[in-house]
Amino acid sequence: MLDVFINLGLGMTVAFTLQNIALCFLGCLIGTLVGVLPGVGPVATIAILLPVTLSLDPTGSLIMLAGIYYGAQYGGSTTAILVNIPGEATAVVTAIDGHKMAQKGQAGLALGLAAIGSFFAGTVATIVIAALGVPMTRLGLLFGPTEYFSLMIMGLVFAVVLAHGSLLKAVSMILVGVLLSCVGADMETGRERMTFGLEMLQDGIEFVVLAMGIFGFGEIFKNLADPEARDVVRSRIGRLWPTLKELKDNFPAILRGTFLGSVLGVLPGNGAILGPFASYAVEKRLAKRPEDFGHGAPAAVAGPESANNAGAQTSFIPLLTLGLPPNAVMALMVGAMMIQGIVPGPQVIERNPELFWGLIASMWIGNLMLVIINLPLIGLWVKLLRVPYRLLFPAIVCFCCIGLYSIANDAAQVMMAALFGIIGYALYKLEFEPAPLALGFVLGRLLEEKLRQSLIISGGSPLTFLQSPLSAILLAVAVMALVIAISPSMRRNRDEVFKEA
Amino acid sequence: MQATSTNTETEPSAGGLGRERLAGIVLVGLGGLGLWAGSDLPFMTSDGVGSGLMPRLLSVVILGLGILQLVLSRKDPGQSTGRWAIRETIPVILGVVLFAVTVRGYHLGPVTIPGLGLSIACPLAVVASGLAARDARLGELLIFAAVLTAFCIGLFRYALGLSVPVAPWLLGY
Repeated sequence: MLDVFINLGLGMTVAFTLQNIALCFLGCLIGTLVGVLPGVGPVATIAILLPVTLSLDPTGSLIMLAGIYYGAQYGGSTTAILVNIPGEATAVVTAIDGHKMAQKGQAGLALGLAAIGSFFAGTVATIVIAALGVPMTRLGLLFGPTEYFSLMIMGLVFAVVLAHGSLLKAVSMILVGVLLSCVGADMETGRERMTFGLEMLQDGIEFVVLAMGIFGFGEIFKNLADPEARDVVRSRIGRLWPTLKELKDNFPAILRGTFLGSVLGVLPGNGAILGPFASYAVEKRLAKRPEDFGHGAPAAVAGPESANNAGAQTSFIPLLTLGLPPNAVMALMVGAMMIQGIVPGPQVIERNPELFWGLIASMWIGNLMLVIINLPLIGLWVKLLRVPYRLLFPAIVCFCCIGLYSIANDAAQVMMAALFGIIGYALYKLEFEPAPLALGFVLGRLLEEKLRQSLIISGGSPLTFLQSPLSAILLAVAVMALVIAISPSMRRNRDEVFKEA
Repeated sequence: MQATSTNTETEPSAGGLGRERLAGIVLVGLGGLGLWAGSDLPFMTSDGVGSGLMPRLLSVVILGLGILQLVLSRKDPGQSTGRWAIRETIPVILGVVLFAVTVRGYHLGPVTIPGLGLSIACPLAVVASGLAARDARLGELLIFAAVLTAFCIGLFRYALGLSVPVAPWLLGY
């Protein structure tokens, strides 16, 4: 236990340099600024802002990116409360009661509770990450290629189970994602694969290009086709700070939300998305007046927002300790780390302790900044929300183009993203979820590498995945999750959890 | 403009197939495309997995899932996918492509576009894509494009130091 605080202390000395605090602040600020824009979720925000961090040193760039991430998360909640347009799946829950509160003139209270809940959750999650960092890394070092392969399969199965809608479509999307990751030079032989002789495909598809196309441009097409009624709150925002009584009433919800979010966030395969939904369901069941839920119950904002933030943060654990990104945002983080020459995985904590602990410490600082930045700046965000979409989206297009171009100073990447935008829109029209595709794409190369290594070690026998006890257990869990998800009663429950929102 | 968009709204745009069947066809197509694109790759080599194993295995499963989707949706009533926003998509794509070909120049056969830098590429992208909105106003868009371009050049080139060309025809970089 003492080690945790010694390590966090090391992290604080790294994070508390003037430069890193400034970067953390800047990240939070511009993350919120872009995240507040309706229709721009955290994935799109990070993809747009990724080039901004390219010129920094590795620690500074990751600290800033993490700041952008929290900012984008919090900005998304602000939009959900004030305009009823959730930027991403996890803010859907916040939008229900949060927006109702805003209509009743309690927008300030909703925003204040969200901020305080998020800060509390962020503080707890920071300690959880610090405490789990070392043991999880040790576990990671026990993993050979065989176990890694099975762990990734388990993560992908979880992602399927947690996706909305048709299971078959979610499985297909993951497989298409893995297939897309095969495009480009073979990592062992250097042989070109499925490039159709095109020069721009030789080095494979860049994840940022895929993400910005599908999540950035695709979202714009979607919004232009079906303009959402933007109902920016006209009534006054009201006071931001909750009274002591309100705080006391909502603290249990914050506590439970933090717990649920922290636990679910660690799961591979985007468990964090479940946090807000689970918290909403729990609070509704425990509430004295469940009939208030859906009509502006403060606990329905405080709980899910805490769960959201806790999960957003603990989903760093699989990435930092095992090198496995559990969702699309973390996948972008992998991309950013790779650009900086850091291969995420259990070796990071050994080789770059100041980066590892500095990043964790900066998470807490970032959460503190969010409270400091956001509460006084609410007025500015409200003004930003009134900017009409007809001017917002050309600006987003422009930022995306510059961002895409600066990844490799290559205009072909810009065009490829436009193509992915069309694909993303088509997928949306056919009700395919883009998130599993992104996850499959990110894990694809790692998956193939580990598969090949395992088969070389075992002399070509695929039985090796069942002979290693750890790998067999992971695969068994995956099969069980899939069977449970397919079973009719569970399918009904799963639909209900998502539909309750 | 208004008239055409109202016309397309009523059209059954999935070709009468319905969303679910179309999804199945897309999967079959993707699987087939994957098989064809990876057909030249070795499946297995003497020292283990060849570069063709993953692509081919995946393509076959995707193809299979597509067929399963078609079978499962055979009794589907044929839900429409709704209106496809073609009129809104084209200007945005055009804007992005204009940015791509003008920012550092482009050669394709007889066509050569000189590198014009952000000072030209940004306004082109903003104005072209901005026209996609049904309530677009050209005058407002032109002013907005000028302001945004100045902001972007200041932010990305000077504040962040990215090596994006600004105006090679005027400044030389």
